[in-house]
Amino acid sequence: MPSPTLAIARHELRTLSRSRGALAAAGTTLLLLLASALASLDLAAQAAESRARQQAEAERQWQAQPDRHPHRVIHFGTFVFQPLGPLAAIDPGITAHTGHSLFLEGHRQNSANFAEARQSSVLLRFGLPTPAFVLQALAPLLLVFLAFGSVAAERERGTLALLRAQGVPGRTLLAGKALAHGGVALALLLPLALAILLAAGGEAGALARGALMLPAYGAWLLAWSLGAILASALLPRARDALLTLLGAWILLVVVAPRLAPLAAEALHPAPSRLAAELAVAADLAKVGDPHDPNDPNFGPFRARVLAQHGVTDVEALPVNWGGLVSMEGERLQGEVFRRHMDAAQARERAQAATLDGAAWLAPALALRRLSMALAGTDLPGHQAFVRAAEEHRYAMVQALNALHVHKIRRQDDRAQRVGREHWLAMPAFHHAPPGPDWPALLPAAGALLLWLLLPLALLPLAGRRLDREARA
Amino acid sequence: MTSLATPLPPARGYFRQELRLALRGRAVAAVLALAAALTLLSLANGLALVARQERAIAEARDGQADYLSAEAAKYGAAGSAGTAGYATWHLTWDPPGPLAFVAPGQRELRPTVLRVRLLGLQAQLYESEPVNPELALAGRFDFAFVATTLLPLLLLALLHDLVSREREAGRLRLLASLPGTGPGLWARRAAVPLGLLLAAVLLPFLAVALWAGAPLGGVLGIAAAVALYLAFWAGLALAVAALGRGSAANASLLLGLYVLLLLVLPAAANALVTRAVPAGQGVALALAQRQAVHEGWDLPKEETFRRFLREHPEWADTPPVTGRFHWKWYFAMQHAGDMAVAGEVAAYRSALLRRQALADRAGWLLPPVGVQALLHRAVGTDVDAQLAYQERVQAHHTALRRFWYPYLFEERPFTAADFARVPAYRPAPPPTRPAAGLWLAQALAALAALLAAAAALRRVDPSGGR
Repeated sequence: MPSPTLAIARHELRTLSRSRGALAAAGTTLLLLLASALASLDLAAQAAESRARQQAEAERQWQAQPDRHPHRVIHFGTFVFQPLGPLAAIDPGITAHTGHSLFLEGHRQNSANFAEARQSSVLLRFGLPTPAFVLQALAPLLLVFLAFGSVAAERERGTLALLRAQGVPGRTLLAGKALAHGGVALALLLPLALAILLAAGGEAGALARGALMLPAYGAWLLAWSLGAILASALLPRARDALLTLLGAWILLVVVAPRLAPLAAEALHPAPSRLAAELAVAADLAKVGDPHDPNDPNFGPFRARVLAQHGVTDVEALPVNWGGLVSMEGERLQGEVFRRHMDAAQARERAQAATLDGAAWLAPALALRRLSMALAGTDLPGHQAFVRAAEEHRYAMVQALNALHVHKIRRQDDRAQRVGREHWLAMPAFHHAPPGPDWPALLPAAGALLLWLLLPLALLPLAGRRLDREARA
Repeated sequence: MTSLATPLPPARGYFRQELRLALRGRAVAAVLALAAALTLLSLANGLALVARQERAIAEARDGQADYLSAEAAKYGAAGSAGTAGYATWHLTWDPPGPLAFVAPGQRELRPTVLRVRLLGLQAQLYESEPVNPELALAGRFDFAFVATTLLPLLLLALLHDLVSREREAGRLRLLASLPGTGPGLWARRAAVPLGLLLAAVLLPFLAVALWAGAPLGGVLGIAAAVALYLAFWAGLALAVAALGRGSAANASLLLGLYVLLLLVLPAAANALVTRAVPAGQGVALALAQRQAVHEGWDLPKEETFRRFLREHPEWADTPPVTGRFHWKWYFAMQHAGDMAVAGEVAAYRSALLRRQALADRAGWLLPPVGVQALLHRAVGTDVDAQLAYQERVQAHHTALRRFWYPYLFEERPFTAADFARVPAYRPAPPPTRPAAGLWLAQALAALAALLAAAAALRRVDPSGGR
């Protein structure tokens, strides 16, 4: 590193440290970052505790069931809750917008209900104070505020010409400024790292994913600092640089993330809930009524079962025919549910991919994608929970149907019960959230990198322009 | 305020001159064009969202008639009121109000159409809409968003250098030496861009709203709320502009205030409200309801009827059920399950209302929160509207139960003709509760900011400030 660059960087930092406004803004941002981390940790702890308590209550209700007919238990069902990962405190992602509880029962696939968003007042629209919010939305403003005058103000004061007269090339000047402001930007990662340490609480996987947030946020913050210096070097007055940068902040941070979803919806329109429900119902109607052992839809199945056992009448079967119909019905219904669920999830992912495409123009979306994925609070994480819940539902119902087949006699079927020890023996819901889908994150990482390289590549050009400006 | 209201003798001439000056500036014209474009875009988006909801309702209602006749054909012949009641879905819908396009975002998160069966209502009332959470995450680009979040920024861009640009251009002394100047000059200079911005936003809004058939009173109310809110920001901007600092310093200070009032403090308020009123009651309610309904299978049937009859004594002399199953017992059990969780339902509702009340309280202090609350309330997309729809669904569910009970308890056949007599659902426009407190808070905030601006402008030092 040439020493003039270092000298300029040192001088810039000294100037910043003497500006009351700069110190106040930086101090406020740091304070906000720490306060948001503490508030977010507290809220996440409360939410995680509440989910754990509700999951325990659901399991208690399950195990407290008396002796029952297994089909009654199929309708009793169970509730499962999406566990909240430790890094949700750093970036809650879509957490507030998804239901985290699912009711699992036979013959039906329910929606995840009780999303915070539906239970919130208009304050929902203002978001929550989280480290992700501070770093994604507010920190760029701080960096702009610190750097918009870095070159333009020197030009207005006439010190720029003085530096040129001393033979400092424009490139060196800009490199020095970039070093100073880039250092400030990266310093904001320290409180983030601290918050990640606190949130991960010694969980190695969370710690590793949290550590990967640092380069993502680092690239974002650095890009803003470099962009601000670039604007300051290219525009004649500090005021112009400030207004241009604020305009960029409005467009890139405030407006673009709200416009991109319009494109996603236009490209991949979703049917209304009722239309989706009716489509499922139409497919279920083709399955037949698994409550009715005489439903003609199960005629071929009956012929197959009778042939297997070498008997001519269901009365002669060694197992309960009603239970078999229930089981076969659930198998066919389960296929319907999975097919519709897969289609809906694929559409949601296609919409998310449109946002990834928009991220090349709006890097805030790229950072958001990376941050949510690393925090485990993104769409794929929720979809994985919904799929795991469906698998659990299917396994639970079929295990109960198996009890119906083998433990319940056909005569006077519904009046019989099986012992409660059977419920106790069934496995509880355990969902290990999958890690991020790394290849799917490449577009977002690429977009973020592009926006970091863009100002980096333009800075030398701006330096040459400063040289020409001085000669003119 | 007085300085804004005091007319100077040749005021009209000055205004015309200011107007010409303002429109000649390319930056001002760009900001105004941007404001009008953002307004129109947000209104178009809001109207499209509402149209989508209305289409979903229309489709559902079209389909329901066919569905009911198919159900009548399927179950009417056998005449079992129990089977018909168990299997048939009944349609309810929540039509968007005529102004919903102003702030449709919150509506989208909850069902526009909800089908219910005669079974326990509390297991059916809280179905969620399949909104892709990634698309909903940033919030909707609706007029409420543009007015609350973007217009203040445009206003700050127009007003922050009102005084400083004259000083920086070396014209301040000259201006001060002209006759008829003083605070009135700055008031007129500020009034022009503020008026132009209001016109660039409110004229498209009025035109689109009236074209869309929205009621004039409500439209004017929304325009007034936006005007008051922008007056607050104008006052703030002028007070800072008059401090005598440079343009960049003013812009930074105003931006700091913007971040504080629009991003930091509302988010902090949101965290406090979420912390103070956790809404886990919804899940608790679902768990309790499921438990109550299913316990019914293991309870003696007399006990279930005893509970049911507390609300429906008209069936007190129904003969007891001795067999394993009877539909009247089944439906009595379903309703007893709902009755058992009345306490949880009340707790859940009051938690939602408490959250809204606390948000309103924040709105008294924070104009951005206040104007959002005002707008959502005025157009019927707030928590009140959500709860009112739930009440309406509940009322319809009750009407359906009361219609079905005579068939079940008197064991009358339920024929295809009876399907035609099933009570029809009657939707209602969303309720609009007066929001005097929020209006007063907005007006006071605007007044205070404008008074502060007037006081500060009177002290502008023409000799060049600091």
